[in-house]
Amino acid sequence: MKLYRMWGIFLRYMFAFYHTLDRLADVFFWPTVDLVLWGLTSRFFISSSSNAQMLLGMLISGLVLWIFPWRAQYELGVNLLEDVWNRNLINIFATPVRFREWVMTLLSIGIAKGIISFSFAGMLAYVLYATNIFKLGIYLFPWAVIITLFGWVFGMLVTSAVMSFGTRIQTLAWTSIYIVVPFAAVYYPVSTLPGWAQTVAHYVPASYVFEAMRAAISGHPVPITALLWPTIMSLLYLGISFSVLVASYRKLLQRGLMSVE
Amino acid sequence: MSVVLEVTDLRKSFGDTEVIKGINFSLNEGEILGILGPNGAGKTTTLQMLLGILTPTSGSVHVFGKDIATYKSEVLEHVNFSSTYTDLPWRLTVQENLIWSSYLYDIKDRKKRLAKIKELFRLEPLWKKQMSALSAGQRTRVNLARSMVNFPKLLLLDEPTASLDPEVATYMREFFAGQRRDFKTTIILTSHNMAEVEELCDRVLILKDGEIVGNDTPAKLAKKLEYCHLNLRIIKNATKLTTLVDHMKGSMSENDGVYTITFKEQQLPKFLNTLSEQKIAYSEISIDKPDLEDYFMSVAKGASHEAL
Repeated sequence: MKLYRMWGIFLRYMFAFYHTLDRLADVFFWPTVDLVLWGLTSRFFISSSSNAQMLLGMLISGLVLWIFPWRAQYELGVNLLEDVWNRNLINIFATPVRFREWVMTLLSIGIAKGIISFSFAGMLAYVLYATNIFKLGIYLFPWAVIITLFGWVFGMLVTSAVMSFGTRIQTLAWTSIYIVVPFAAVYYPVSTLPGWAQTVAHYVPASYVFEAMRAAISGHPVPITALLWPTIMSLLYLGISFSVLVASYRKLLQRGLMSVE
Repeated sequence: MSVVLEVTDLRKSFGDTEVIKGINFSLNEGEILGILGPNGAGKTTTLQMLLGILTPTSGSVHVFGKDIATYKSEVLEHVNFSSTYTDLPWRLTVQENLIWSSYLYDIKDRKKRLAKIKELFRLEPLWKKQMSALSAGQRTRVNLARSMVNFPKLLLLDEPTASLDPEVATYMREFFAGQRRDFKTTIILTSHNMAEVEELCDRVLILKDGEIVGNDTPAKLAKKLEYCHLNLRIIKNATKLTTLVDHMKGSMSENDGVYTITFKEQQLPKFLNTLSEQKIAYSEISIDKPDLEDYFMSVAKGASHEAL
């Protein structure tokens, strides 16, 4: 892998980011809307509860932490689509750029934008609701890593789908990860789910992270070792989804890159 | 002279349809090859396989002696392309598009290179403009500029001068001829502009239904057509002409008093003698020899050259 090529791809998307209001809005606008809308709604519903501030903290922290998997999956699928819309895919792949360099760059962009959005939303949560997610300290790091890996799984699967079916299924690039939100237990404990859904949640790495987050906020931090299983799961899923992505790319090359445009 | 490109028994099928049927050709350093063919002949499919963005069903493409299937990244460091099938991101400025594109190649002095490209392609007035603000011709020019950022040794141009105004198109043709002359750049181009192909190309490859049906210099290809067109303004005994043309198994059309007679080139002296013998008088005469366009048209129509 050559860093200068990855920098070239990074610049391509960063220049677009700089020029495109809706891409800028993705980083700041939607986290703000989510926080204001769901934060105020939650505050209203739990205002009569004896531990209202703690419950609000759990909800808000869930919202803020969810930014990581959301951005991680979003950058892969949407940036591929942007190149499809611009008829620019060939300008990238008929060059020395290797497929893995392109994927790695998009994953890195997802991390970078995830950190920016997370930091912004974290500060906003503090200003609006006096909820300080940064108080969770070092725990945030392994949690962010696990759910980012999980987000990449969706990103790779959606990208594979776009490569296979073209723009007919482009809406998935924005929405696919929301399929798993109910099982990821972002806003409520896994125990709230019906039995069959709890079984599904056991196979969703993000559910362990949000359970751990709620435990930490309520003063019962989960040992880091408890995150070993979700980490292994995430890596396993990532391996599978990366294989699917590579297979889809090879299949696309058999049809020709132009076929997706 | 070293071989830059070697295509061996290249085939491509989509489902049950074979669109490239085992083509073979090679290209030497500094050579300019034109690929012509009617729509659907397989030109773009072939170019895609040469660039490694379409996997052949079988066969191989070797560029600089290396198999592109195995050494795609290394090979494409010295290859570039410009195609009417691609665009650069519309929201980015010309400068930004050339900057990010340049980083995809191992270029030592990037700043200097981009300044040179800006000058060569006369991009100064467009430099800060977004692609969306450019005309079709200007976008083509920027695409051509992008194709030169790595100063490629092998350049693939898919209709390079389409949508350029005549002055810029001429400048571009001179530019590419200059690249070959000064840097031994090897060029493959597809074009529907026959005059352009005749002017630029050392050799022309004619594709039809996925097969190579012609591979020679433009002049030699045109010579393969054994017919010629004789234009005569007849002033006396025009009625005798029809019988004469029928006798020589030629064809004839008339437009505003000028008869255009088509027959085999070797029959010309005999035909002129007969005109004189039969006292068919004319006031104007001209002979059109077949050119590359005639050859292309004959291939496109699927007609036998001899029959024409």
